[in-house]
Amino acid sequence: MLGLEGMESSDAALVARVLHGDVNAYGELVSRYRDRYARYAVHMLGNREDAEEALQDAFTRAYRSLARCEDPERFGAWLFRILVNRCRTSGARRVRRGQTFVHDEGALMNASQEHPAEQTMWREEIERAVGELSPDQREAFLLKYVEELGYDEMSEITGVGVSALKMRVMRACDRLRTLLREVHSG
Amino acid sequence: MADWGRTTLELIVEELQQPVKLDASFERRVMVRVRRLYATQRKHRGRWFGAAAAMVERPAWAAALAAGVVAIATIGILRVRPWADRAVAANGREPVQFVLVAPSAHSVAVVGDFNNWGLGDSALVATNHQGVWSVTASVPAGVHRYAFVVNGKQWVADPTAPRSSGDDFGMPSSALVVEDSVK
Repeated sequence: MLGLEGMESSDAALVARVLHGDVNAYGELVSRYRDRYARYAVHMLGNREDAEEALQDAFTRAYRSLARCEDPERFGAWLFRILVNRCRTSGARRVRRGQTFVHDEGALMNASQEHPAEQTMWREEIERAVGELSPDQREAFLLKYVEELGYDEMSEITGVGVSALKMRVMRACDRLRTLLREVHSG
Repeated sequence: MADWGRTTLELIVEELQQPVKLDASFERRVMVRVRRLYATQRKHRGRWFGAAAAMVERPAWAAALAAGVVAIATIGILRVRPWADRAVAANGREPVQFVLVAPSAHSVAVVGDFNNWGLGDSALVATNHQGVWSVTASVPAGVHRYAFVVNGKQWVADPTAPRSSGDDFGMPSSALVVEDSVK
């Protein structure tokens, strides 16, 4: 939404409007964060259906608990924390159901329309390798390199110590190196 | 390491940072849920004020009305809880899965009025699935209060559920409504 001076409303302003009963303002927050956080959920969960469900659930939970958002200016970070937890739960449920990681076919199909075949193959290899990481390693790698968070912020979001996170990122990189080398040598 | 080095890592990250565009219907679907919650909340507020007024006039109804408000407030939330797995009811009891994300916990148990607050050996011990603790219990239909006990001593309310109207033993607890699927 554009404000009086053509500026977007701040997160805090939108949160305040929602808390005063303007439900439509929440739609603006959804619109602001949906694609950005969909990327994390898709890579973390490996398929678009689970990712959309997790993201929907995160938005719904955030709305329900909005009054407990201590720093509305950082609504995005707060929502992201909810999403990370939701992805963990979803990932754990998938493990319990015995499902394996499935890379995002939809994204690959879209990619093939936009990129040359070689790039699509490269992307597919990356998706598959990321899917081979353990959930802990995948989470740490995505937060560090794809979402570009600092270790302190990662620690705040995940509740895991900085040293452990660094170890997970390092192991994720080692594992990706191994997996992608196998692909190339195979 | 040279092959893998910074350039290759950057290429990987570049691919993973490609935007993911969701279908236009996503926002609509979220807002349908949100509007439903909003409508439910407004409805509850109205009923609560009505109940509060009644309590002043007729204190004998206070407890029943308060319980009713808790019930109304939690029904909608339970319905959207994805992990509230349900199966066929047996003797008016329903299976409810309790989930708590606590990666650094050593143990998690569920206590509530349906298991006598974990007194004796009745605590429900949750199983750890990579930091996600869960346990499924058969809970009688009705309004209940419950909480998680982390590491055997830290009593925490369910962060994803509404707080119950009154705290038991001075500890935080959450409200749970179990609907009888047979009715």
